[in-house]
Amino acid sequence: MTAGYMGPPDTHARAPAEGGVVGGGGRGKIDGLGKIVGTARFTADLKLPRMAFAKVLRSPHAHARIASLEAAAARAMPGVLDVITGEDVPVRYGAIPVGQDETALALNKVRYIGEPVACVCARTEEQAAEACRAIRVVYEPLPAILTIDQALDRSQPLIHEWRRKKSNVLRRVFQSYGDVDAALEAADLVIEQEYEYPGSTHVPLETHAALAVPEPDGRLKLYSSTQNPHYMHRTLARVLKMEQQHIRVIKPEVGAGYGGKCDTFVTDVCASVLARRLGRPVRFELEREEVFYAHRGRHRTRMWLKMGMNRDGTITAVDFKAWADGGAYASFGVVTSYYLGVFGTIPYKLENYRFTSHRVYTNHPPCGPKRGHGAIQPRFALEMHIDRMATELDLDPAAVRRINCVEPFTDTVNGLRVTSVALKECIDAVVAASGYHDKRGKLPPGRGIGLAASAYMCGALHGVYQNDMPHSGVQVKVDRSGRVTIFSGTADVGQGSNHMLACLVAERLGIHPEDCTVIEADTDLTPVDLGSYSSRVTFMAGNAAVDAADKLRATILAAAAQKLGQPVEALVARDRVISVRDQPDVKLTWRKAVDLAESATGTLGATGSYRPPKIGNRFRRQSVGPSPSYSFTAQVAEVTVDEETGVLTVDRVWCAHDLGRTLHREIAEGQIEGCVYMGVGEALCEDQTYERGLMRTPSILEYRIPTIDDVPEIFVELIESHDPEGPFGAKECGEGPQLSTVPAIGNAIHDAVGVWMGRPPYTPDRLFRALRRK
Amino acid sequence: MLPLPSFAYEAPDTRDDLLALAATPGARLLAGGTDLLPSLKHRLFSPSTLVSLRRAPGLRGVHLTDGELSIGAAQTLLAVRRHPLVGEHLPALADACAGVATRTIQAMGTLGGNLMLDTRCVYYNQPVGWRAAVNGCLKCEGDTCHVARTGDGCYAAHSADTVPVLWLMGARVRLESTSGVRELPVRELYDREDGRRWLRSNPGEVLTRIIVPLPRHPIIHRKVRLRASIDYAAVLVAVERSPEAARAVISAIGPAPIEVSSADPAELPKLAYKASVPLRTHVMATTWRRHMVRVSVRRALEQTAP
Repeated sequence: MTAGYMGPPDTHARAPAEGGVVGGGGRGKIDGLGKIVGTARFTADLKLPRMAFAKVLRSPHAHARIASLEAAAARAMPGVLDVITGEDVPVRYGAIPVGQDETALALNKVRYIGEPVACVCARTEEQAAEACRAIRVVYEPLPAILTIDQALDRSQPLIHEWRRKKSNVLRRVFQSYGDVDAALEAADLVIEQEYEYPGSTHVPLETHAALAVPEPDGRLKLYSSTQNPHYMHRTLARVLKMEQQHIRVIKPEVGAGYGGKCDTFVTDVCASVLARRLGRPVRFELEREEVFYAHRGRHRTRMWLKMGMNRDGTITAVDFKAWADGGAYASFGVVTSYYLGVFGTIPYKLENYRFTSHRVYTNHPPCGPKRGHGAIQPRFALEMHIDRMATELDLDPAAVRRINCVEPFTDTVNGLRVTSVALKECIDAVVAASGYHDKRGKLPPGRGIGLAASAYMCGALHGVYQNDMPHSGVQVKVDRSGRVTIFSGTADVGQGSNHMLACLVAERLGIHPEDCTVIEADTDLTPVDLGSYSSRVTFMAGNAAVDAADKLRATILAAAAQKLGQPVEALVARDRVISVRDQPDVKLTWRKAVDLAESATGTLGATGSYRPPKIGNRFRRQSVGPSPSYSFTAQVAEVTVDEETGVLTVDRVWCAHDLGRTLHREIAEGQIEGCVYMGVGEALCEDQTYERGLMRTPSILEYRIPTIDDVPEIFVELIESHDPEGPFGAKECGEGPQLSTVPAIGNAIHDAVGVWMGRPPYTPDRLFRALRRK
Repeated sequence: MLPLPSFAYEAPDTRDDLLALAATPGARLLAGGTDLLPSLKHRLFSPSTLVSLRRAPGLRGVHLTDGELSIGAAQTLLAVRRHPLVGEHLPALADACAGVATRTIQAMGTLGGNLMLDTRCVYYNQPVGWRAAVNGCLKCEGDTCHVARTGDGCYAAHSADTVPVLWLMGARVRLESTSGVRELPVRELYDREDGRRWLRSNPGEVLTRIIVPLPRHPIIHRKVRLRASIDYAAVLVAVERSPEAARAVISAIGPAPIEVSSADPAELPKLAYKASVPLRTHVMATTWRRHMVRVSVRRALEQTAP
């Protein structure tokens, strides 16, 4: 391991928040009220004159050749304007360059039940739906690949026969560091065990929607409920064979994504194609059922894990294998195959590590990124395994985790550069708050307590396409009224990134977040940001916003300094006033300073950008996984298991998260509580199950996510490690905390009733079966 | 948006109009609509006319006369559960109403609607395209039952929360039609032979009132579900304990509730278990649901213990 890196010299990481905004809370989101009173406009709320509606016909077969498709009857139905099929949108696309394998409508064959086959556009949604039913498709069913074993079996038919690689394995990754075999040989205790993590899906409140508007000059405007407007912009240019500058992508308010809106969807492509063919606006909104087929959720993953541990609790080696059922298309699957393995060396230091992962094609709806993308499954296995081994060695699981914590400012054996780490503080915080040591093994029968820890990335070092440009750009301009407008390509999908940008800019300019307007996610208006994925927005766009604000600050403070006859360094900007440090009466209002600055230098504006540091990596192949910084989490769950019925109640969860620095307390706590909520869902009930390729529960009645009555009391503690890379020292807090929820609950179940549950969700029927076998 | 199919809509405001409209072929009664409208969107059936009970007279109110509580069929579940007479005399019915879905559904759904509730199955209550992928469901358009492929019947499960307690209370339903008025005990309202024909009422009959004799012995309602709200039942039981015998009504496991009784209360859980054969109409494992019948009956009995 190499140490010594201490971060860039000039940073705000430990700087006091002089502007009085960072670290505060209490201020509501600048864009929150509209969502409460109902004036916020989501894509499906948008209405335009002559707007037509699109609907698709979906495949009832998991794997079949399309022998014929007859749409004449549908075209003749009342209100029908157009019908398109796979041949009308033949360009293959995908979330990342090495996974361009899908078309918006099935071309020649269908690969999963629910795959769009034909798209009807009509004057009303009802007419479009009616006409879909009139399309006659003759299918020639093919044998379906429905299990990981089938996908690995080379004698089975290919799902994508056109691929150069004649295999149903999208990607196999093998990496080995140190000498795993020797270390396992030498370890005091070695346990190997299989685990399985179920598939699950995001269930955003808003279903996917798009509204395409043809402009008189031949351009196309697309409103879309997307997390990644920039990537969609590029994809649309390719698929529509248009110049990218002739397309404008706008993201209105989005009702959550959790990773489920990172891809370009049938809604986006078909609405665009139809709008251009018909010369009128076309809106296309998915029904709830269809969101389950669009999916891109958590990969069902089978895992095998072998770990070596010494009597003192040191983890000496990990050998890990994972097989992920990716469904019919790649989506971000190549990334998933890496994420399943590369984060195995963090949050615990490990000298000997080896993993193999497979991400396979099956005839299920395509999987993709869901909160904690690819890292949730191995972390579940590892955290359960650590408790199992600690129990075997009669060690305290908290102490075992503590002594293995990765150290700050070190490199991991697989070349991840770690900056700030406050994991020990997180563990100590939840252990103390929960009374872990007083409770573990000492609670009454059926009650138990469990601990788990985790780490997660703050944005990826590399975007999905190779380039040297910034990952995020922010533009700031000031009106003569003093109001500041922030232009950013980021996609606020409910997580509060708009407010974070306003906070950071306001902090540096000495104004209030509510003095800022954020214009976001409009490719005609806003600088590029790569999107809301891999927990990058506050970190990367935040840095870009600070960069832009600092440039503007310099201009305005220079004008103020001249007026006040003071050096710039002597000035403090706070609460809309620029004053001299220690002489609060020598001051100027923000508005006056803005006037002076504009008079002195001309129109006020600045741009800022962020590109991740170029981190020299010993391992060239390690392009997926490295991040500028990592967040850390420790979590304790207390549960009750009814031993007669198997019913699990999660009573309380304590979550301490090292988020670098708190920028806004309530938003940070809300993100962390959201992570715990989603983790509780995956622990209690969420399970994407299929019957011969058919998703069994495509509704929010049958696909159960927890109701407010099922959610435990959640206690959040924010731990600050002042990261040198993040804006004001901040790191992510919107995904990482979910990683340790499920294993903390799993470990608590063992404490309660003595069974190791190697596969969530811990539904009563599964727990009942496990208790019977005990 | 999942579009509704088209249908005619009537909201009669006299008894005669109501009964005449109810007797028209292809008509279906619309009370709260909380189950009916989603079913229409799923195209489980397609009535030509929906006859709303919204303005019909005589379907509301709760009265106590001669030791019997008469509850209007169009009374919402929330109103029933909050009614002082129900709270005082039929607490188990209030419990059962409180267990239905969510408070917002209870504020729309009616007691009569709950009694006439369609049977449920994970293969039946699905959208059209989904059912097409399994070649249809026997209760709808298909020729095979997916939960019992070898049989020729439908096993969709009776899942009306309020029925087991009303059954044990000896409640009767008043059915009115153009050909007259009759009363039928709740226990005779359902047919367990086939989930496609689970109701013994006749076409054109309107359930107007539910008449409940005040129970002489304690009755306990228990609902088994995965989440603390919203979910329909994986198992429903109601248990009554009298000095002579203990009785249980078990539901959500077949097309109609079943009753078991025993002079020895200790035997009741085992008898209930033996009589219950849940099928895969619900996502939860059948072995667990059967186990839960036994546990729920025993726990309900414990709750009735003095």
